[in-house]
This record gives sequence, structure tokens and C-alpha cells, in this order.
Amino acid sequence: MRFKGGALVVGALAVALTAAGCSETTNDDGGGGTTENKTQTGSISYEAADNAGPAKPVDGAQKGGTITIMQVADFEHLDPARNYVNVQQLTGGLIYRSLNGYIEDGSGKMLLVGDLATNPGTDVNKDCKVWEFKLRDGLKYEDGSPITSKDVAYGIARTFADELNEGPHYIQSWLYPGGAYNATYKGPYNGGAATPEGIETPDDKTIRFNFKDPHCDMPYAAALPTTSPVPQAKDTKGQYDLRPFSSGPYKVKTYTRDNVLELERNTNWDPNTDPIRNAYPDGFKFTFGLEAQQIAERLVADAPADQASMTWTDTPPAVLPRTTQPGVAERVAKGPTQYVWYLGVNNQRIKDINIRKALYYGLDRDAALKAIGGTSAGTPASTLMSPTTAGFQAFDVYNAPATGDPAKVKEILGSTTVPPLVLAHSNTPLRTAQAEAIRAGLAKSGFQVTLKPIEATSYYDEVGRKNNPYDLYLHGWGSDWPTGSTIIPPLYDGREIVEEGNNNLAYFNEPSINAEIDRIKGLPAAEADAAWTALDKRIMTEFLPEIPAYYDATHVLYGSKVGNAFLSDAFGALQVNKVYVKQ
Amino acid sequence: MIRFLTRRILVGVMTLIVISVIVFGLFFAVPSSPAKVMCGKNCDAASIAAVERRLEIDQPIVEQYTKFMKGIFVGRTYAPGSDFEVRCDAPCLGFSFRNSEPVTDILKRTIPVTLSIVAGAAVLWLLIGVSLGMISALRKGTLFDKIAIGVSLVGASMQVFFFGLILLFLLVYTTGLLPFPSYTPITEDPVAWATGLILPWVTLGFLNSAIYARLSRAQMLETLSEDYVRTARAKGLPLRRVYTKHALRAAITPIVTIAGLDIGASLGGTFITETIFGLRGLGKETVEAVGFLNLPIVVATVLLAAVFIVVANLIVDVLYAVIDPRVRLS
Repeated sequence: MRFKGGALVVGALAVALTAAGCSETTNDDGGGGTTENKTQTGSISYEAADNAGPAKPVDGAQKGGTITIMQVADFEHLDPARNYVNVQQLTGGLIYRSLNGYIEDGSGKMLLVGDLATNPGTDVNKDCKVWEFKLRDGLKYEDGSPITSKDVAYGIARTFADELNEGPHYIQSWLYPGGAYNATYKGPYNGGAATPEGIETPDDKTIRFNFKDPHCDMPYAAALPTTSPVPQAKDTKGQYDLRPFSSGPYKVKTYTRDNVLELERNTNWDPNTDPIRNAYPDGFKFTFGLEAQQIAERLVADAPADQASMTWTDTPPAVLPRTTQPGVAERVAKGPTQYVWYLGVNNQRIKDINIRKALYYGLDRDAALKAIGGTSAGTPASTLMSPTTAGFQAFDVYNAPATGDPAKVKEILGSTTVPPLVLAHSNTPLRTAQAEAIRAGLAKSGFQVTLKPIEATSYYDEVGRKNNPYDLYLHGWGSDWPTGSTIIPPLYDGREIVEEGNNNLAYFNEPSINAEIDRIKGLPAAEADAAWTALDKRIMTEFLPEIPAYYDATHVLYGSKVGNAFLSDAFGALQVNKVYVKQ
Repeated sequence: MIRFLTRRILVGVMTLIVISVIVFGLFFAVPSSPAKVMCGKNCDAASIAAVERRLEIDQPIVEQYTKFMKGIFVGRTYAPGSDFEVRCDAPCLGFSFRNSEPVTDILKRTIPVTLSIVAGAAVLWLLIGVSLGMISALRKGTLFDKIAIGVSLVGASMQVFFFGLILLFLLVYTTGLLPFPSYTPITEDPVAWATGLILPWVTLGFLNSAIYARLSRAQMLETLSEDYVRTARAKGLPLRRVYTKHALRAAITPIVTIAGLDIGASLGGTFITETIFGLRGLGKETVEAVGFLNLPIVVATVLLAAVFIVVANLIVDVLYAVIDPRVRLS
């Protein structure tokens, strides 16, 4: 998934894992010195102990109090059908549950387990085509009525509606492969069927997915809000965004758009049915409309009224120096996210791999990062996939210095003449500063680069047009779940290139790579992780379609009364399932 | 008087119609489609077309404009006949699909914030600014005059974003003497309303009062040098009567004009003040709506800002006649 309009827009999951059984992948944080040196491990767990509620208690945690979350802007959507942004998904997870979810404890260990489901899904025929989920006993909505598998099916059905199309479309396009996901079925509205083809609910506890093709990633897709239950009688359609019906530990108390969202306890949520959420606070209060600087200043000051507050907004560069002082430094959470930023190279225009290699050495990653906040904003990248990806192995094929290597550029280019290049960037202050830093770095290596600012709202439309007139562009991408399957295929499968709306911004189309993508997609997840990493290395070594610039990182503050605050590896942001208010 | 008012109201309505046409035209010409901004990551042409249909921006601009104007008087129904039908009652200024609510609801929420900021600040800047200016004029050349003019020079030279941040840093972040500004409706808790708005009031009030002090002083000095003031004094009228009855009344007329325009413009949105103090008023709402291409909000807020200016002008014109007997409304 990509950043939208300069802001983080995505739902996503990161870190390691494997499928089938409880096999495990371990990732050393080899992303060039990310700020936290924990080792990230993850797995899909079918162990009964992991899949049983209640959630393991947090040492020293107490129930009670209200956590305030200070944010710059309101959420785009809380309706599970439309929820595709990481912090929205974290918030949504307090109100509604999905079939699957992630258990995290802050150590870097992450387990994908059943949430509403008793386990992460049964591959009925061992061919990844038929997946079955059994719901737990005792699941209830906020009004005390039972949660059924038919509600899960209805929740998925409504994601097909054009009016609710902003969420992820994985399961939908797997159910209706070939063409647009909702070309034939448009949801349960205006006379449509209440359940999409391919979904069966033989009883109130069972939901079965029948896919035409193998989809071994189904346990991850089932952790997206797509699988959250929505009772048909409570479906308020477009207005559901403002008050999703609660199946989780909290329900909406008040929601004034752009101002405040208050959540209070859902007394019908039974902790014994939930292995993921501890739900220690009595409530959450989200305040919107503050500036990033104000949020950071208030959290640094730690006034009594703000001590139980936290934020998902990155600390702005101006406040960073004060976050290292005693009393503040211990209230900082920092670490990598699932995003990688690239200096995209338009392979339709720059066909000579030697020029792309020269650009790799000419890129001043250090300056590009300093322009947006230095090491708190990210670390130099040398791979296409993020260090948070399952099976990730750090490698650096070219060993370029972070500040670039003009001598090496000259050596590679020899007598080759590079034409003047146009670098397109989103016209926001941050991206403009970064593009200028990159231009200056490339100029030191002899490249003639002109900047082309494009309005943020149409930036990805412009560079996503196949025959766009730009040579280089900045773009970011993050996985929807922590395997290479939502990174390499969307970015480098040349068969996906269309006239408009491309994600493959390098316009890279290599038949041997396309064939390898197909091969890996058919592998069990446990083998696929290593295969994606190997393919990453092969693409970088043999083709270098574009240039990884830096691994994105987050740096956020929280108040002194927020207990157990740690970054979720699954979402790249402070988690809310296990925080508590220090009394 | 009635003829004057009728004529001015008609001119005001015409102005608003022209502005509404310009705003519609401008946003029709933007290169990005709001549907693309609102659409998800995997948005294809069919999805964009569906969103455009829902927003009714797939229709010709004239039709969109007609529906908008009609909605103000009789209300409007979006996506009629479908499961996603939305009714927006009159006066319907549009429906924000991004916020899932009618624009009038958004305005009802944001106008009181801006109104509270401007009302408090205006009282401060008029009381302090005009008083300081008048007293300075009467005590021209004294220490008081020099200090008042010096301070007002500093105030007039500063910007809201600088002075506001300094106050925040000193009074909120460092010493914690004041809470971070917030808005509580005056009907709910008048004390919290006032406490939460002290900083924006002081910031806007101080900066504007500096300008008004200088303006009032200059006006008063000019008036005091008029022949009729000298005549009044020569006739032996008490000084107090000369100043209040004769000089002040004449000096204050242009200040009323400027104050009216200033207040009208501020009601249209004190974006910088609202942003610095994290208050979601009309200005902040508008600027954010522009960023998201949330056209219904942009059109409505621009129109509303124009209404404030037109109404403020009208009030000023009427006040003119009340303050200055030489002016007659005809």
C-alpha cells in the first residue's frame, strides 16, 4: 500500500511470520541500524493456549482511567468495510473484532491467532482454496445479541458496494477473480444477495470461503477489518462510519467529526473470548484538529491533564532535540514501520541499467532523511522489502555510502552521457525539501535534475499514468500484511501494468521475474518467505528497476501515566490493546 | 432608511450570487477529482465514476449549481431511490460525504468557535486599542503617550503565529499557568468557555489593539486640530464635553468602518489563530476542506465568509448614520 497525499494512509501489518502450523521466522533488524534493536519474530499460531482468552495479563497493569489520543486529523473511516489506514485499524480494533488478529507483547514476538475465530483458519483441502473458520462461544454485540457467522458474511458482502469501497479488496477479488472485484456482485444493497458467491455459512458458528485459486495468505487477509461482523439490522450504510456496532471491548459514546471521538466500555464484551485485547482503560478519547507541534510540545511538557495522553503523530523535527532530555526520553516510542521509500526510476525512459546503478550511488540518502527529520524519520535502505517483512534478510548489493559516491558514479558511467532528468515529487513542504536534497546530491555526481512538483492530491494519479513524462519520482509502499506477497507482486509484476493507476511505478516488466512471482505465490507460506527475500535480492542484483532510498520509521511521544506503551509491529504505531493508565 | 436597506441587501445578495458562481467555477476547474481523493487505494475507473455519481459531480456544472441553490431553499436528496439515499434539509448547503453529515451541521459546530474567538478578541481590541489611542492623543507627548505608542508599534509589527506561540510556550508548555486552549460552549460552562479562550483572545486582542491604538490616536489628533473643536473650546465648553461630544464622535467614525470590516473578515475565519491554538473554527475547517477537495464545505464556508463581510458592511453603514449626524441614509 502506498502513502496517500503525503500522509500515512494504510492499514497494515508488518513483521515476520509463516503459515500452516506454528513454524516461525526470525528477523534480525538489519535495516541499517533502526532505532530499536529488538529481534522481530512472528508466526501463525494454532496452539490452543495462544488462541484462548483471556489475553495474558500485563505486569503491573491496572484497570480504569481514560487514555487520550491526540491527533492532527480525524479518521477517514471507521466503518470496517472502509477502514484501510493503520491507526484507523488500531482504533477499529477497539470497537470491532475480525476473524483473526495479532497478539503482541512489545518484545518483537507477534502471533497471528483467531480473534472471533477459534483458530487462524483451517485449510480444508490443504490446497489453500477452501478456508473454514469456526466462531467462539459466547460472542456478543454491544446489545447482548449473539455474533453469528452470517454477520461476518454480511460484513464482507457490504464491502462490495461502490459506496463503501475504500477498504482492502483482497478477499473480494479472491472470491471474484479476473477483472474488477465488484464487477458482477455489488453488495447486499439495492436488491443484491446478502452473501457473496463462494462464502458459505452452514450454521451460525461456521464460515467457509471457497476460492477458485489457492490463497495461502488467507489467515492474514482474515485479520483485516474486512471480516468484521455487521448485523444486517444494524447496517446504517453510509452512516455506519460514525457509529460502528460494537463487537469489541469498547463502543462509541460520542463522535463529533473532526473534533472528538469517545469510546466507553462495551459491557457485553467477554474478555474470556478474546486472546488479543486486555482493555484496561475504562475509555478512550480521541481529540482531532491539533498541530503536530502542539501535540509534541504538550507531551514533552507532560502537564497533569496530558499525562494519560499519547499520539500516533510523528514528533516534528523542531521538537526532536528536547525528546532526549531526562523525563522525556523514557516516554518516546520509536522504531521502523512497514514502509519503504524509493527513488522510483521510470524504466520506460531510463532503460540502461548502468544509469540506474549510477543513480543508486549518486543518491544522498543521508540528505534525503535529514530533510524530513533525520534518523527518527528513517534509515537508509538497500532492499526492496522492509525489515519488518517475514523472512527478511539484510543485504546490500552495491554498498553505497549513505551520502552517495560521486567517484563511483563517474566510474560506472564512463563515457555514457546521461540526459537531463526530471524528478517529480508531491508538492508538500516535506517532499519538496526532500526532493531538493536529492536533486542537490545527484548534482554533485554530475546528474542534471529538474524538479517537477505535482499537487499532492493528484500526485499518484500523475506518476501512475503509464506514459508519464517523468524520469524519477519519490514514492512509498508498505505491505498490507508482513509477507512479500503484498510488496513484490504489486510493485514489480509487469503484467499488472495498465494505462492508468499503476503501482508498478518503475514500469518494470521482466518475464523471468513474473514467472518467479507466480511460482512463489503457489508455495506454502513457510517456504514463500525465504523465496520472496531471494527474489528481492535477484531483482536488485540483476535489474535494479528502482532505488530503495530509506526504511520509514516512526517516533512518537506519550504521557507519563500511559503504561505499557510500545509500538505494534503489526501496525507500525503505538498499540492500544494492552496500554493502561497508571493510577 | 428602508429604501437604503433594501438597496444594500439586494446588492449584498447579488454579490453573494456572483461569489457562489465564481467558487463553483473555480473548483470545477481543479485538476483532481474529489472522487479520486476519496476513493481507496485500489480505485479503478468504475469506482471513481460511482463515487462521482454519489457526489453528483458527474453532472454539468450548471446543473450542479442549480441543485445547490435550490437545496438552500427547499432541501435536497442525494442518490434518490437507492439504499444510500441521503436527505439534506433546507437550508441545505451541501452534504459532506467525507464527514457523512450535512454541511450545515458542520457550520453549526464551527461557527460558534470562530464567533467566540472573534467576539472576545474584538471586545479587547476595541476597548484597549481605542481607549489607549484616545488617551494618548489627549496626552500627546507625555510618557504615557510614548509608552503606549511604543508598545503598539511592537504589537503592530508582530504576527499572530509568533506572539501566539510565545504565549503558548510561556503560559502553557513551560509554566502550566493556563490550560491548552479549548472550546466549551458558553451555554454549557461559561467559566470553561472563557478559560479555554483566554489565549486566543489575548493574542488577537493585543495585536489588533495595537493597530487600533495607533489609528485612534491619529484620528483623534486630527479631529482635535479641527476648527470646530477650537471654536468649541473658545466658547468655553468644558474640555470633557468637547472631547466626548464633539471630537470623539467625529474621530470614531472611520474606526467603526474598519472595525466592522475587521470583525466581518475575522468571522470568515481566523485560520492562523485557530490553527495555533488547536481550535476547530470556520477558518481551519475551510483550509482543511480545500486540502481534501471537500467541495461542499469549501463552497459553503466561502459563501458564509462573504455573508459576514456583506452584513458587516451593512451594519457599519447604518452605524455611520447613528454616530455621525452629517451622514444620512438615502
